[in-house]
Amino acid sequence: MIDAISKLGRSAARRLSRLGALARFGFHALRAAPALTPAGRRVALRVALTQVRFTALNAVGLVVLLSSILSFLVISQAVREFGRLGVTDLIGTLMVIAIVRELGPLITALAVAGRSGTAIAAELATNQVLGEVRALEAMGIDPKQYLVLPRFAGSVVSMFALLVVFDVVAIGAGFVAATFNHMAGDRYAQIVLQSLTARDVWLTVAKALATGVIVGIVPSYFGLSVRRAPTEIPVATSRATVTSIVGIFLSCALLR
Amino acid sequence: MTAPLSFEGVRLGARDTEPFTLAVPEHHTVAVLGDEDSGVGTLGGYALGLERPAAGRATVFDVVIADLPQLERLAFRRRVGYLPAGEGLLQNLSLRDNVALPLRFGSDAAPHEIDGRVSVMLTAVRVAAAAQRRPAQANEEERRRAAIARATAFDPALVIMEQPFDGLTARAAAELLEFVRGGETAEGARRTILITGQELPAVIHRRIERTYRLTRAGALELEPA
Repeated sequence: MIDAISKLGRSAARRLSRLGALARFGFHALRAAPALTPAGRRVALRVALTQVRFTALNAVGLVVLLSSILSFLVISQAVREFGRLGVTDLIGTLMVIAIVRELGPLITALAVAGRSGTAIAAELATNQVLGEVRALEAMGIDPKQYLVLPRFAGSVVSMFALLVVFDVVAIGAGFVAATFNHMAGDRYAQIVLQSLTARDVWLTVAKALATGVIVGIVPSYFGLSVRRAPTEIPVATSRATVTSIVGIFLSCALLR
Repeated sequence: MTAPLSFEGVRLGARDTEPFTLAVPEHHTVAVLGDEDSGVGTLGGYALGLERPAAGRATVFDVVIADLPQLERLAFRRRVGYLPAGEGLLQNLSLRDNVALPLRFGSDAAPHEIDGRVSVMLTAVRVAAAAQRRPAQANEEERRRAAIARATAFDPALVIMEQPFDGLTARAAAELLEFVRGGETAEGARRTILITGQELPAVIHRRIERTYRLTRAGALELEPA
């Protein structure tokens, strides 16, 4: 019994310690930003733009697909079922709360974590194993400034952009689904707009920020935590993905 | 005059080996050779403050780089050229961008000035034709040439090279050493150079002022070739 409790305690302590290390890593990465020289800022900006291209631009198709299928299915079902019960006004609430505010950030963040988070973790782990991180330090380049900060900024910007795409496409797909199911388009637009409040917008923005931070920092931390063995790369990537997913769910649950 | 690079009582390799002490005089090219387990591969990291020795200290221009605050440490390292074992080129950048990276990040020069300097460097190490290739698309000699161009991008007075000639022909090795030396002055080479590794080609021995081999009894100076 004592053994079991002690094992549980050790495991909890290990997880807490990793959480602390992650927070410290994120803090140090952010603290490296003001120290960037103008020249360093230009280089970091170029890396960040590449990250945005990969994380946001190349993922637009995936997000459009997920958003349109989800919204079309949910609104199609809702129009039929709510219509039978005579509560079609609730479609607006369903669209805003369930899709725009809750599922939008969650699904977008999961797509970004699965697509770009794994890539960031694997890339930085490879940088570490091939001695590139050490070479950067030897050249007088802070790896946090060159490798972590641009990926962090790129992830946050990408999350915002993709979330806007997700929500716009979801509302559009909902419109199509409503008209397919014999609901007037202007009525759909009216009840969705009536249901949308400033709080929904701020919560969505807060979730985009929180999940963007998670997708930018967690994979970078696990990627750079490998030592020299190539066999550590898949382990780091897997840990980064699992931790990001847990973090995304927790942050979406906490921001309500 | 103090040596640009010196190691004082640095513990290398196994515990029972003699501490390593060496001063690399200005304008000299010095090689330290040793087996893989001799700790010879750690000298560059100790000098640049990338790692700390268990005992003793390494100074560059009278400064222990590892003792400097983070920002000063990074800035100070730009005064030293470093070619790590395995080159350390970034795989997602072309050879040209690898050479340009330290200049873009660490200098206030205008982009066209950096481009100009990079072109000159790439031509000087004769890798201009392969400049747009990524490291994985280039051969070992091209990668080494690009890495040497990157190490000397800031025109440093001191260059540290780890296993710089492994896998190269004697001709290429001699040519690259001449490039790193940066020309001749009355006192010797324009740059001070430390080379570490397991072995050196015979043609290189003739261009090196002092060669040491690490043994359990300490560093033994080898006879000039």
